[in-house]
Amino acid sequence: MKLILTGILAGLLAATAAKADEMAFTSWGGTTQEAQTKSWAAPFEASSGIKVLQDGPTDYGKLKAMVDAKNVTWDVVDVEMDFAIKAAKDGLLEPIDYAVVPKADLDPRFSNEHAVGSFYYSFVLAWNKGAVPGEPSGWADMFDTKKFPGKRTFYKWSAPGVIEIALLADGVPADKLYPLDLDRAFKKLDTIKSDIVWWGGGAESQQLIASGEAAFGQLWNGRVFALQQDGTDVGVSWNQNLTAADVLVVPKGAKNKDSAMKFLAAATSPTGQAKFAEASGYAPINTKAKAEMPADAVKALPDAHVDGQINLDMNYWAEHRDEIATRWYAWQTK
Amino acid sequence: MQESSFRRGSIAGLPAGSGSALPAIILVGLFFIVPVVALLLRSVTDPEPGLQNYAALFGSDTYVRVFLNTFLVASVVTAVTILVAFPVAWMLAIMPPAMGSIVFGIIILSMWTNLLTRTYAWMVLLQRTGVINRALMGLGIIHEPLPLINNLAGVTIGMVYIMLPFMILPLVGTLRAIDPMTLRAAALCGASPFDAFRRVLLPLSLPGIAAGGLMVFVMSLGYFVTPALLGGTSNMMLAEMIAQTVQSLLNWGLGSAAAFVLLVVTMALYAIQLRLVGARRAGGGL
Repeated sequence: MKLILTGILAGLLAATAAKADEMAFTSWGGTTQEAQTKSWAAPFEASSGIKVLQDGPTDYGKLKAMVDAKNVTWDVVDVEMDFAIKAAKDGLLEPIDYAVVPKADLDPRFSNEHAVGSFYYSFVLAWNKGAVPGEPSGWADMFDTKKFPGKRTFYKWSAPGVIEIALLADGVPADKLYPLDLDRAFKKLDTIKSDIVWWGGGAESQQLIASGEAAFGQLWNGRVFALQQDGTDVGVSWNQNLTAADVLVVPKGAKNKDSAMKFLAAATSPTGQAKFAEASGYAPINTKAKAEMPADAVKALPDAHVDGQINLDMNYWAEHRDEIATRWYAWQTK
Repeated sequence: MQESSFRRGSIAGLPAGSGSALPAIILVGLFFIVPVVALLLRSVTDPEPGLQNYAALFGSDTYVRVFLNTFLVASVVTAVTILVAFPVAWMLAIMPPAMGSIVFGIIILSMWTNLLTRTYAWMVLLQRTGVINRALMGLGIIHEPLPLINNLAGVTIGMVYIMLPFMILPLVGTLRAIDPMTLRAAALCGASPFDAFRRVLLPLSLPGIAAGGLMVFVMSLGYFVTPALLGGTSNMMLAEMIAQTVQSLLNWGLGSAAAFVLLVVTMALYAIQLRLVGARRAGGGL
């Protein structure tokens, strides 16, 4: 009993104390955070002597609450990029100290004043080979219920991706996607609404495709990569794959800002990025990372499919987040 | 009203032994009353003082629809739970005690299993490629998979299963308290079994049905995991919507307003139910 109490007390102290040799890293849990712990936190602890406490999952509401209450217990947080842009505007983030974090080799698409890239990924079209006749070749096939019957699965939440897919399928050229024509997108989505099964998280998307519950769907490339590693018979089309990114941010008022910046330098270094990309199938945001990766791991990355690749416009989304979400949930719950 | 019987030996008008309830009162005060007040304040001050969050809430088709849907789901779940629970509770009430405690054990045991695990298990059973549909198709009973998941049917099945113990337990208590002689008396007076059920057993068991029903209804209103996993987006319930509003859109004001309205409606229902049951209880002679 005494031991348990001491343990709890120690845990509480560890969580609240702002010691110079400790910091807290928060991400989404699951295989992603495992890979981040192994590729970034462990080597960083060894080289710097700073202990990295893992927390999670990322919760934007919690992040805001911490900053508002001026009691920030997270030092580095993995967030979606459109959120980071909005959060920076709302004053929730510390600026990145690029004197500590080397900027030269970072992909400029995924780093800015208040956020540095974590990894980037693509939405790809994946299908269960046993459940789909033939090979879907692009987003338009997801809307063709005659040629490709069966349930299709899309990301449930209001986020960059599904709206763009509907517009591309409806024939909007890639360079004319923005500003998003929401009316047109929802009209297109209406045509398959009863055939859609939504996935709310990565594991769910894998389960739906692997079981054949959904014949095909819009998935994160890393999740398809993991399915294929497990030997599941899934096909994947990289045609018009849509890139989005996770970024690392430091909440305003973080207690261990200096350690956080050092951690960011390690996480975005060529080696840290190479190791993480190899473990997850997500792409590195450091342009020098691929040189440190085995050739077959590089082939699995979105970087190998830049032909026809489309960058989801994070600035547009950050600007219109609330407005799109209102329309999205109104349409979805109807 | 049973108040008077509690007053014996009270100190300063408080029932005897209320001192030992102090920790519970402090706990409820600190971790329920204070947050609720904070929630209310937030809903009228965030981002600026005023009632704009409530205006936005009732002006939004989406929220109104999700509200109505939440009450629809909770009502359906409560009704089905009562129908399923009643025969089980009756069986438990008239069973020999030794056997009854085994059945009781099984019911309680299901409550100890992790909620998420049980919900995922239902997913595996109910999906188009799931056990139930495969078995039915294998037997040639159906040719197309039945839509058992991502709709109201899925939510109802999953939630009724989880709510059953909360209905059975209070109901067994009430049924056990009913003197079996009353049923025999009804039969002797010429009542058919159905009449005896409808005019004697049912009225006498109403307090149990009401207590269990209220508990199930109120718990269903705030349910999150099961509807999210077994329902479709057109069955979205308020808890999920509030979570999205707060966690993803950072709109604490609107989320607080929605949560507060749900709380007020729940309390109002509770008050109405208490009155009705109180009246019936008096009429039922208990």
